[in-house]
Amino acid sequence: MKSLKLAARAKARKTVVQIGDVGIGSNLAVIAGPCSVESEEQTIETARAVKSAGADMLRGGAFKPRTSPYSFQGLGIGGLRILDKARQETGLPIVTEVIDPRDVSWVAEFADVLQIGTRNMQNFSLLKEVGRAGRPVLLKRGMYSTLEEWLNCAEYVLSEGNPNVILCERGIRTFETYTRNTLDLSAVPAIRELTHLPIIIDPTHSTGRPSLIEPMSLAAVAAGADGIIVEVHWRPEEALCDADQALTPAAFAGMMKRLRPLRTFMDQQPA
Amino acid sequence: MKLEEIRQKIDKIDRELLVLLQERMGLALRSRKFKRAVSDPTREEEVLSRIERLNLDLIERSFTRRLIRTIIEESKRLQEENRPLVAFQGEHGAYGEVASRRLIPNGAYIPCLEFIDVFRGVEENHFDLGVVPVENSLEGAVTQVNDLLTTTDLKVIGEAKVTVKHCLLSTEDTDHREIRLVYSHPQALAQCRGFLMRNKLEARPFYDTAGAAKMLARENPRAAAAIASELCAELYDLEIIKEGIEDGPANNTRFLLLSRQPYANGGEKTSVIFATPHEAGRLFAVLRLFAEANINLTRIASMPLRSDPENYCFFLDFEGSEQDEKIAGVLQQMEKLTISLKRLGSYPAASGIY
Repeated sequence: MKSLKLAARAKARKTVVQIGDVGIGSNLAVIAGPCSVESEEQTIETARAVKSAGADMLRGGAFKPRTSPYSFQGLGIGGLRILDKARQETGLPIVTEVIDPRDVSWVAEFADVLQIGTRNMQNFSLLKEVGRAGRPVLLKRGMYSTLEEWLNCAEYVLSEGNPNVILCERGIRTFETYTRNTLDLSAVPAIRELTHLPIIIDPTHSTGRPSLIEPMSLAAVAAGADGIIVEVHWRPEEALCDADQALTPAAFAGMMKRLRPLRTFMDQQPA
Repeated sequence: MKLEEIRQKIDKIDRELLVLLQERMGLALRSRKFKRAVSDPTREEEVLSRIERLNLDLIERSFTRRLIRTIIEESKRLQEENRPLVAFQGEHGAYGEVASRRLIPNGAYIPCLEFIDVFRGVEENHFDLGVVPVENSLEGAVTQVNDLLTTTDLKVIGEAKVTVKHCLLSTEDTDHREIRLVYSHPQALAQCRGFLMRNKLEARPFYDTAGAAKMLARENPRAAAAIASELCAELYDLEIIKEGIEDGPANNTRFLLLSRQPYANGGEKTSVIFATPHEAGRLFAVLRLFAEANINLTRIASMPLRSDPENYCFFLDFEGSEQDEKIAGVLQQMEKLTISLKRLGSYPAASGIY
């Protein structure tokens, strides 16, 4: 992987991406929230619920990359304004996806972290643009991508002068159909060996099944992941997007009771 | 056109009708200052017959007469209320209007094109009161207003601090990706410089923040947005793209309330403007008076004298009233040490920031 001048693990120390009080790469970072911003009430109520359950950051999509052009495309700028309000209400920093290079500076006005989704992982003009936006970038792994391809995309962002890249494993395409994708948990320790960048996992899109979210989140923490990004909806059955895979606030709170103690336990074990 | 589009247009026209009516009511209130009585039957008949001459095929003459008659009646009722006429610079929705509403809750707020129109209008009794910005926490002194304060005979009778929360506004059918130009008052553009640079937007100076919003709503120029208050979004039916786009977190503007008569009840704060001879230690000698009398200064600013560019005048605000013995004493001594001393007056201090 000679092309990785900046992403490769040459540094002795891990990169810690600091967002307000949250240090991704030092403590376990839990990012939770709805798939998409649908209304002020839905977003703020969900934000309050995940905050009280112990989440560190709020996720929520305003610009949605949808498989079908006829699906709900997101509220756009209006959605970003709602996220801004949710941050003012709860103090949670905002992670939101950007899908168009023309939107990057605008989304950066509202978001604390810019997310690049799996479908855009190799959208190089978008990567360059977020590299210049002055905000940390959460780079999801392309669902058909190798680790090397993924790290080269991180390199695009780093080479624009933005050192704050968070990698996110979100499941890859395999022949299995029971789960939406297959969570490549081995990516967590493998990425550790290859790069200094922090890595989190997305148990929602990788499994597509609420019942599998908690076991895979615990497994990710045991494997040494720096955090998780998980979908929580105040009323999952009413969600306009990915309704059947979001956790209820109660299920999220239940998972959080086990997640942090597991991390503490892992930290106490000799290396 | 679909039903939905037609209805949208109707809603827009209704809104514009009301905004125009508001403007007409403001003018009627101003006319009161020139008339002996509210009612003027000759003028009313003139208005009615002129408007009837307009030939509009969908508007019956009898309807026109009834409509205008109703407007005239309401306008006369409003004139009888004798609300104080409060002048501010800018269009409706300007921060000056926000300050005016705080200072005089039951006033009739009259927009003026320039600061000098506010000053002259109050001086000539076309308005009862004027509200002008003197300083901003990010940009410093509003020089035009400070300059006018040095020459006016008006008195300061109140102050208000207004939080400036700039919003980027656009018309509903403008996509944020298309925006290239941003219209606003130069001061507002300066306060949002960082935001404009980050989003590669070109600043276009306009005479007023609210005026820019109004122009945007009426003319809908391509690829354009405006920076103005939240009140403007409501008043001119514009979309807020982002609020709070100013660079600094604590951005507020201090406004003064101007009147022909001084404040009657003492007050807690006093404003003066003075100039000293160009000699070593003269300014210090003046300031020492305040230090020795233990009077707290709340603002000190210098400005070159228009009439004499080599020399400066100083704006001084301090706690206490001219009616206090201690302050009267200091001002008396100040007369001897300065070449000019203008007392703008004592007034109640602003309580908090709105």
